[in-house]
Amino acid sequence: MGRLEALLIVGFAACFINAAEGPRPRGVGPEFARFYESTDTFSCISSPSIQLPISHVNDDFCDCPDGSDEPGTSACAHLSSLSPYTVGAVPIGDVNTTLALPGYYCKNKGHQPSYVPFTNVNDGVCDYQLCCDGSDEWAKVGGIKCDDRCKEIGKEWRKLDEQRQKSASNAAKRRKELVAQAAILRQEVEVKIHTLETEIQAEEIKLKGLEANLAEAERQQRGKVVKRPGSGGKLSMLAQLARDRIEELREALIEVRSQRDMSKGRIAELEGILTTFKEEYNPNFNDEGVKRAVRGWEDYAARDKPTIGDEAHDRDLDEIAKPDSETGAIKWNEWEEPEESDVDVLYKIEAYLPAPFRDWIDKKLRDLRVLLIENGVLAPSSDVGSSKEVEEARNALKATEDSLKNNRNQLNTHKEDLEKNYGADDVFRALKDQCITKDSGEYTYELCWLGSTKQISKKNNGRTTMGNFVSIDSVTVDDEVPPDGKGLGSGVRVALRYENGQHCWNGPNRSTLVVLACAETDELWKITEEEKCVYRMEVGTPAVCEVAEKAQTLKDEL
Amino acid sequence: MAVTTVYSFLRLAAFFVFALNVSFSTAVKHEGFKTCDQSGFCKRNRAFADAVASSSTTSPYRISPESATFANGQFRATVLKTIADGLTVHLPLNVTFLKSGLARVTLDEERRRTGDIELRHGSKARKERYNESPAWALVGGLDIDFSAQLGEHGNSDVTAIRYGDNQRNEAFIRHDPFSIYFQRDGETQVTFNQRGFLNIEHWRPKVEVEVEEGVEKPVTAEDESTWWEESFGGNTDTKPKGPESVALDVSFPGYEHVFGIPEHTGPLSLRETRGGSQDAFTDPYRMYNSDVFEYELNSPMTLYGSIPFMQAHRKGSSVGILWLNAAETWVDITKKKGTKSKVDTDTHWISESGILDVFVFLGPRPEDLTKALGDLTGQTQLPQTFSIGYHQCRWNYMSDEEVKEVDAKFDRHGIPYDVIWLDLEYTDDRKYFTVDSDKFHNPAAMHAQLDERHRKLVTLIDPHIKNTANYPVVDQLKEKDLTIKNKDGVTYEGWCWPGSSHWIDCFDPKARAWWKTLFKPDFFKFSTYNTYIWNDMNEPSVFNGPETTMPKDNLHHGDWEHRDVHNINGMTFVNATYHALLDRKPGKPIRPFVLTRSFYAGSQRLGAMWTGDNLAEWGHLEASLPMILSLNIAGMPSSGADVGGFFGTPSSELLTRWFQAGAFYPFFRAHAHIDTRRREPYVAGPPYTGIMAQAIRLRYQLLPVWYTAYHEASVDNSPILRPQYYVHPEDEAGFSMDDQFYVGSTGLLSKPVTKEGAATVDVYFADDEIYYDYFDYTIYSKKGFRTVDAPLDKIPLFARGGHIIPRKDRPRRSSHLMQWDPITLVIFLGKSGDAEGTLYVDDGETFDYQSGAQIFSKFVFDGVSSTLTSQDIAPKGSLTDSYRKTMAPVRVEKVIIIGAPAHWADKKHISAEQGKEKMQPKLQFHPASGNKAAWAVVRDPKVSIAKEWKIRFA
Repeated sequence: MGRLEALLIVGFAACFINAAEGPRPRGVGPEFARFYESTDTFSCISSPSIQLPISHVNDDFCDCPDGSDEPGTSACAHLSSLSPYTVGAVPIGDVNTTLALPGYYCKNKGHQPSYVPFTNVNDGVCDYQLCCDGSDEWAKVGGIKCDDRCKEIGKEWRKLDEQRQKSASNAAKRRKELVAQAAILRQEVEVKIHTLETEIQAEEIKLKGLEANLAEAERQQRGKVVKRPGSGGKLSMLAQLARDRIEELREALIEVRSQRDMSKGRIAELEGILTTFKEEYNPNFNDEGVKRAVRGWEDYAARDKPTIGDEAHDRDLDEIAKPDSETGAIKWNEWEEPEESDVDVLYKIEAYLPAPFRDWIDKKLRDLRVLLIENGVLAPSSDVGSSKEVEEARNALKATEDSLKNNRNQLNTHKEDLEKNYGADDVFRALKDQCITKDSGEYTYELCWLGSTKQISKKNNGRTTMGNFVSIDSVTVDDEVPPDGKGLGSGVRVALRYENGQHCWNGPNRSTLVVLACAETDELWKITEEEKCVYRMEVGTPAVCEVAEKAQTLKDEL
Repeated sequence: MAVTTVYSFLRLAAFFVFALNVSFSTAVKHEGFKTCDQSGFCKRNRAFADAVASSSTTSPYRISPESATFANGQFRATVLKTIADGLTVHLPLNVTFLKSGLARVTLDEERRRTGDIELRHGSKARKERYNESPAWALVGGLDIDFSAQLGEHGNSDVTAIRYGDNQRNEAFIRHDPFSIYFQRDGETQVTFNQRGFLNIEHWRPKVEVEVEEGVEKPVTAEDESTWWEESFGGNTDTKPKGPESVALDVSFPGYEHVFGIPEHTGPLSLRETRGGSQDAFTDPYRMYNSDVFEYELNSPMTLYGSIPFMQAHRKGSSVGILWLNAAETWVDITKKKGTKSKVDTDTHWISESGILDVFVFLGPRPEDLTKALGDLTGQTQLPQTFSIGYHQCRWNYMSDEEVKEVDAKFDRHGIPYDVIWLDLEYTDDRKYFTVDSDKFHNPAAMHAQLDERHRKLVTLIDPHIKNTANYPVVDQLKEKDLTIKNKDGVTYEGWCWPGSSHWIDCFDPKARAWWKTLFKPDFFKFSTYNTYIWNDMNEPSVFNGPETTMPKDNLHHGDWEHRDVHNINGMTFVNATYHALLDRKPGKPIRPFVLTRSFYAGSQRLGAMWTGDNLAEWGHLEASLPMILSLNIAGMPSSGADVGGFFGTPSSELLTRWFQAGAFYPFFRAHAHIDTRRREPYVAGPPYTGIMAQAIRLRYQLLPVWYTAYHEASVDNSPILRPQYYVHPEDEAGFSMDDQFYVGSTGLLSKPVTKEGAATVDVYFADDEIYYDYFDYTIYSKKGFRTVDAPLDKIPLFARGGHIIPRKDRPRRSSHLMQWDPITLVIFLGKSGDAEGTLYVDDGETFDYQSGAQIFSKFVFDGVSSTLTSQDIAPKGSLTDSYRKTMAPVRVEKVIIIGAPAHWADKKHISAEQGKEKMQPKLQFHPASGNKAAWAVVRDPKVSIAKEWKIRFA
């Protein structure tokens, strides 16, 4: 449709102004008639200072820099930014050479008037799509004869138009249903939110009570607590245990490291083989197996590698793997002295360790501490022992806390869902998770609303994700609409962006732009690969009907 | 500390990942192709040449005096080659003098010719040296110059024969040792065997080792290791005929530049290949048609096609040779300071087998050479008009829907195009003549949409036929026994696109007859009469063969070994397709269009070629110009490179510049590998799409120029793109220039931008004639380099004063839709105030032009009388009148005179006359401003291109 439609509309609108006018020069639309009224001279529309004898109008020679003296021929068709600019080819060197007229005006009696680009006038081809009366080939170059087909074309068009109208009204109806459905779904969410909020409120109150209960139970309990005796005598034993344990860990570390180094060597060797393979294979032979392997390797090579065995890390490990000598990090002998008996120091042992190693050793020490506690070597650091009552109170509190947390999460999810953009009138809420498919060539394509897009091979059923839904957007399109109405047309259209699909060999992650236009049913019209692994789906759906109409009206008003 | 180390490690890791990516390098697989050292006969002949050069031994070849006769323009004799023990080998010599002023020298081997030899391994190969190259390459020009006569300078040892136009040429045939000097006007231009490198490896039985011990080896111990068998890359050549190479040194005394022997990358002026200057190659130029993957630039390596024609040029003289041999051929080039501080170029030609058959061209002008070459090997096909428009190709348009969509998008974006192409993937499982109906549901609707704008479809058909069940083509091929055979005479099986395949043997007339049947629309159901053909992989490319081609001991029709015919093989396939298309439609024949990758001397008669699988890199854009120029002067002007580069994705800038350059390739097609990003000219968006549209529209605006240039090439084999030396043969500064060129004889000088980010180019103007900027009429009137602005939207294009060019300014959707549009004549006045040009027009698709249905006009602007005349110079025929009547409505709508004299400012009207009609068209004058020329426009003189007329400005 695009330009065609726009032209049709302009022409159509102009019809009304035109009603009472006399004959115009060939190719002039009614809205430009006033420029062609004089009977002796013609002034170029954009440069009225250039005046020509009237005989120069439509004499198949381009005189006006805006081409307005040739509304009915192709003589000025070259006045365009797409043409190579040569001084002598335009009427006057440096005047604005934008065409003043939209094209050659076809009256198309029996159908609707429209403009044909000047490049198509008298080129020996009947452009019936735009000019059903065949008047664009009035010169009959090479003997071409374009009969007036407006009667049949107009009839066919009106028939189709009727269908389109019908289909449009059905589509609008269908959209209303979708909106209603979406509203119900939204309501359901709102009800859930309401329920959750009530529950949360109740739980919060309950929680307060339980906290009070627990505090009371603990107060009761505290009285029963007997302070444990100091455990200083066991420290040297502890130190010995820790020393053994660390020694054990150290040896394990060395062993694991050597295994790691071996694996690293093997990986390097394999990567070397694959790199050579990749450099030396001939992609021209197009062996799918080989290409897949290369693709896999490239994906692998392009991924961030885990930083196994970087130098700093290795140095740290070297440090750790050193036996603890007198000069080492931990002077065990000091710990074996009975005098220094404060258990808490052990908990702070990390403070004495090399900083980068701290996290690692901390984890190990936690394990160790649990081991010690379990073996009765060490007392838990909490002073508060627990009775059955306290335990119960705590459990009850915990359960309520969990439930509350869960409900709050749910509430958030639902609230976020309400906030989420489901398009105008929330309409895509009604389509979410529904899928449509289309056969195209060797693949079946699948679009799941707000889910993902997929390419499914007919040969081996392999599924390739072409993107996951990210956002609702809008794009400007300018396409012709085929007679069956299954096309995007012109103007701003709702578009769904699907990104981060499967990675492409020598290319990006696959992505799909799903451009929507109003249609009676959900239908995948067309899939194109705009550039490597960047797909575009053109999809009809009632979901965007009113939105599209609004955009269209807006455009027309402009 | 550790943190910084971690960072530096990450940086290091990032570097490695990066390094890994860039290591996806694009180097040619050198190891897949032989160097001279790895090619036995090349190595042997180089060694032989070195031995000869370093010793005082004389060439062992002499003419047996009693055998020598000269009569009826032919000198015949037996050349005796002395081998060990005083034995001699008899080599029949024939020197024929031709009316065209050429001399032809053939040397054969008597024992092989008479079959008096034994082949090893029970081979059923032919015993003769291959002598059928002429049957494929030559179409004429062989009329003997019966007026050739013995010259007065001869004596008992030298036979001197005068021949050619006014007997300007003279051949001095020395008997002992055998050599020939060719003179023109008393000056030696070309010599044969001056350096004693002549080497005809005669037949010999294989002598087994124990016998050999007793035999005394010849003084120059020959390396016999490659006589009987050679292996390369895991393939063994059984060489049943033993060593059989032919080699000869050819010198061009006083000639510093040699051109030709395409197809190679590297400069137009061929580089030295041995021991010379620093930038000399180390290997000879090689001609062995091969599918070279991601070929490298500036290299003597072989490529897909070859034309063994070399042209030597010095100030005021061009001479050359055609080495008519279809076997693998290497050419060494060295230069040395000769007499009078001139440089001599010495060449050494080495072919693996076949007879020695060489034509000598004595010029003296470059066009004398191209014309004589055209007389011999045929003229460039006059193509259909659509084929000189823009071609949109991609591996692959995947469905009929996609074809229709691309087609529609060109219209929507106002970009004209003529042909859309389907690569391999349109077929069902890579079986030619079938279609994948999963992808192409409704081909008829696709064809119909293309037909609406008179656009064409080109589909790929290759010579390898899939070896599979239920495929009638392969069944018929085998059943009718039309395949190329292996050394044992069994149908050869190799791998190509479809996997296991067989190859059609187009040397076999029965195969060619059968091939025709496949193109009939009732067999090739996907095609219609708007469908034309692309012949790829016809070197032939064999994925698992030696050097990606066929084993040399394979056998062709007539039991010729593949080694003998290899370089012609590609041409025989195109020839079969050409005739199949000619034969396809009942009734009036339509000119075929076939694109080929492999070619040989003579391929120009059959269609266009392109330079194969180039890369989307600036270097490849740059290299395309010398490659295409080389093809143009060697008789294959209908050539082009893939616009955008086949492998890889070009930047928008590179793509835009490539379109600007490609608009000046004789064959103008964009193509892309299947793994690259989409790049139809409308994809890039502003400003690039608009600039590319301008370049393509410029091509269409100049279609009358291109068609006229093609017509010239179809008459006398003129280059369509002409290098500087060709147009200015006296201007030494331009001899090695290959980055700017002229279009036909129009004086249009193009200097494509081939550097990234360039804002200017340095253009060379060869003389003090006026050169005008084509677009804004800026004047350049001094010989030498000028730096001119060349921002992205500017195509550096100049018009040399003194020329008139025809244009069609109205943009249309395809070339066919321009046929009724009026012409604009653009006159670029030269210093003398004169200008002239030509226009050729015909129906652009049939052969009616041969019956006079053509317009061929010469336009002359005479400065003294200020008169522009149109003269009819077309040959007349039965269809002349009716065609002229048809074309009468096509008028000259406008005449633009650039460099118009200032006194025209006062003229308002001028007069025009056409037959009895008298017109008084308006004249509009625009004075010169700054360095821009004055120009004037004649408004609609109402004269027809089909008639003679006169416009008087005085």
